[in-house]
Amino acid sequence: MNAPPARLGKAAAAVLPFALALGIGALALAITGHEPAAVYRLMLEEAFGGERRIAATLTEATPLLLTGLAAAIAFRAGVFNVGAEGCFYLGGMAAAVLGYTLPTWSGPALIPLALAAAALSGGAWLLAPGLLRARLGVDEVVTTLMLNFIAIGLTSWLVDGPLLARGSANSATPQIAEAAELPRLLPPTTLHLGFLISLALVAAYGAWSRFSAGGLESKLVGLNPRFSRAVGVDLARAILGAMIASGIVAGVAGGIHVLGLVHRFVAGFSPGYGFTGVAIALLARNSAIGVAVAAVLFGALSSAGANIQLFSNVPIEIVEILQGAVMIFAVAQFSFAWPRLKTAP
Amino acid sequence: MINLFLHAALLTTTPILLAGIGGFVNRMGGLVNLGLESMMLAGALVAVEVSGATGSALLATLAAAAVGAAIGLLMSLVVTRLGANEIIVGLGFTVAVAGLARFILKSVYGASGTYNPPGVAMLPRLDLPFLDGAPILGAFSRLDPLTWLAWALVPAVAFALARTRWGVRLRATGAAEATVRSVGLQPLVIRDGSTVFAGLLSGLAGAHLSIGIVGLFNEGIAGGRGFIALAAFYFGRTSVARTALGALLFGVFDAAQIRLQGRGVPAEIVQTLPYVIVILVLTALGFAERRATSGRVLR
Repeated sequence: MNAPPARLGKAAAAVLPFALALGIGALALAITGHEPAAVYRLMLEEAFGGERRIAATLTEATPLLLTGLAAAIAFRAGVFNVGAEGCFYLGGMAAAVLGYTLPTWSGPALIPLALAAAALSGGAWLLAPGLLRARLGVDEVVTTLMLNFIAIGLTSWLVDGPLLARGSANSATPQIAEAAELPRLLPPTTLHLGFLISLALVAAYGAWSRFSAGGLESKLVGLNPRFSRAVGVDLARAILGAMIASGIVAGVAGGIHVLGLVHRFVAGFSPGYGFTGVAIALLARNSAIGVAVAAVLFGALSSAGANIQLFSNVPIEIVEILQGAVMIFAVAQFSFAWPRLKTAP
Repeated sequence: MINLFLHAALLTTTPILLAGIGGFVNRMGGLVNLGLESMMLAGALVAVEVSGATGSALLATLAAAAVGAAIGLLMSLVVTRLGANEIIVGLGFTVAVAGLARFILKSVYGASGTYNPPGVAMLPRLDLPFLDGAPILGAFSRLDPLTWLAWALVPAVAFALARTRWGVRLRATGAAEATVRSVGLQPLVIRDGSTVFAGLLSGLAGAHLSIGIVGLFNEGIAGGRGFIALAAFYFGRTSVARTALGALLFGVFDAAQIRLQGRGVPAEIVQTLPYVIVILVLTALGFAERRATSGRVLR
């Protein structure tokens, strides 16, 4: 097999799920009496038309960059972690608590501390499923999925009782100190420093996965664990490391979301960023550039979705339909399109 | 008092039990179904719609079962024919169907969150007057037919899996696909059948939630019960009776949590208990397995 067609196949494999999802969305739109082409054109316009809209799209892409990265780190090592959602909640909670309990601290000290706490809670949360998988071979999909629900329950209990802001009607912590807020990049838009931090982390992952021994090792573990063991890789360590690193990144994602955008922790503050991250990593086939592109695409979807609901009568849920459909098709293997790629029964 | 609580617990168990049995059968056939939640949600919506339009709870129930089965078939085909990862496809269906339900709610019915058409016929309750007032047994009066169906399915499925040709074929498909193929059967078709069955039961579970309990559709009506059902059949492993026990346990939690609200017991924490239990069960199994293989982990 020579290189160019393979690369072409790869690109097509990433584009096809998106195209199919748009097709399904078009079907839902047409059945309910909307004009699909017009809606999609409007969405494109709302997502990328002009500096402000692009800034809104990038703001939406910020948490997705990191949840996508978290999923990619784990998947690359063959660890099927779907627990980013829970880490996102816990990381957000940790950052919010530090952000409002230390109002006398200055930004340069408080922000790194809050993000470190977010990273720590995310990483620690996945320690158990990581150990269970690495030492006992317990299926990590189920444990990490269950941990999501536990984290969501735990954090909503915290903001409903012990950490509820005084006089607040909805379940939320107090606002974080102004010093803890990440600076805005393009006021008056909401685009914040967290976007650059996230992008830098994705780039660092790209460099690590390409050029470092650890990156190669993790890929090897994902592709062929038995071979890796035979050449002397400590499998348990690699699996545990991937799981914890993934949790750390997802925790930081939650922390950045609080410090940069929401400025407090609110119950149910993720509309499924962790799960969208799974779709992103799958579409990206775990590559750094792919994660960045897919995160911006999904960010565009949700920022456009919010706007078209305002300016037309198309419900924002069209975005969820598209996201779910992308997830489904991202893992489908269209062997009829690439007969050579899949010959196994 | 105890009768009232038991009665409530039996009703909260029903949707978990129905979907749990479906997921159990599906898993025996070799597919871990994370899309139960989506089939439940679709069943709940369709049941309310058909019940409101026709005034017939029976038609509504059949329609809910049909739509659940259809989603099950769709999901199964993506997994078995397109080689897609069942976990992601299941999560994808959960996201997409939840979006679709709300999309339909807004653009067809003009409703946001809750859909409450007039004239919704509820599932009948089976009065057993001779049980009324009897201790414990009184709880079994005034249950809906789907609750009875769910419990009747437990021995039926156990028998079918152990003793019938279809049961053996299904178990073989889950355990040794190549063997099934080598004797001239089609394992993928059998697996699809088990997913359709899971979808059908989850659709019924949805109907129980919407026209069995509240009489309306709400976007959060499934409330993670599809994932609790997953917890139930993971708890049950290879036994439908244990799956039912898990479902009952979680149903009791659910009923207890509703009763304990406002009495200082945080509902959010109680709601997480099923998930904690599953992790503990999996951990215990992991330790047991390691002991069995004398400390060598093969993965």
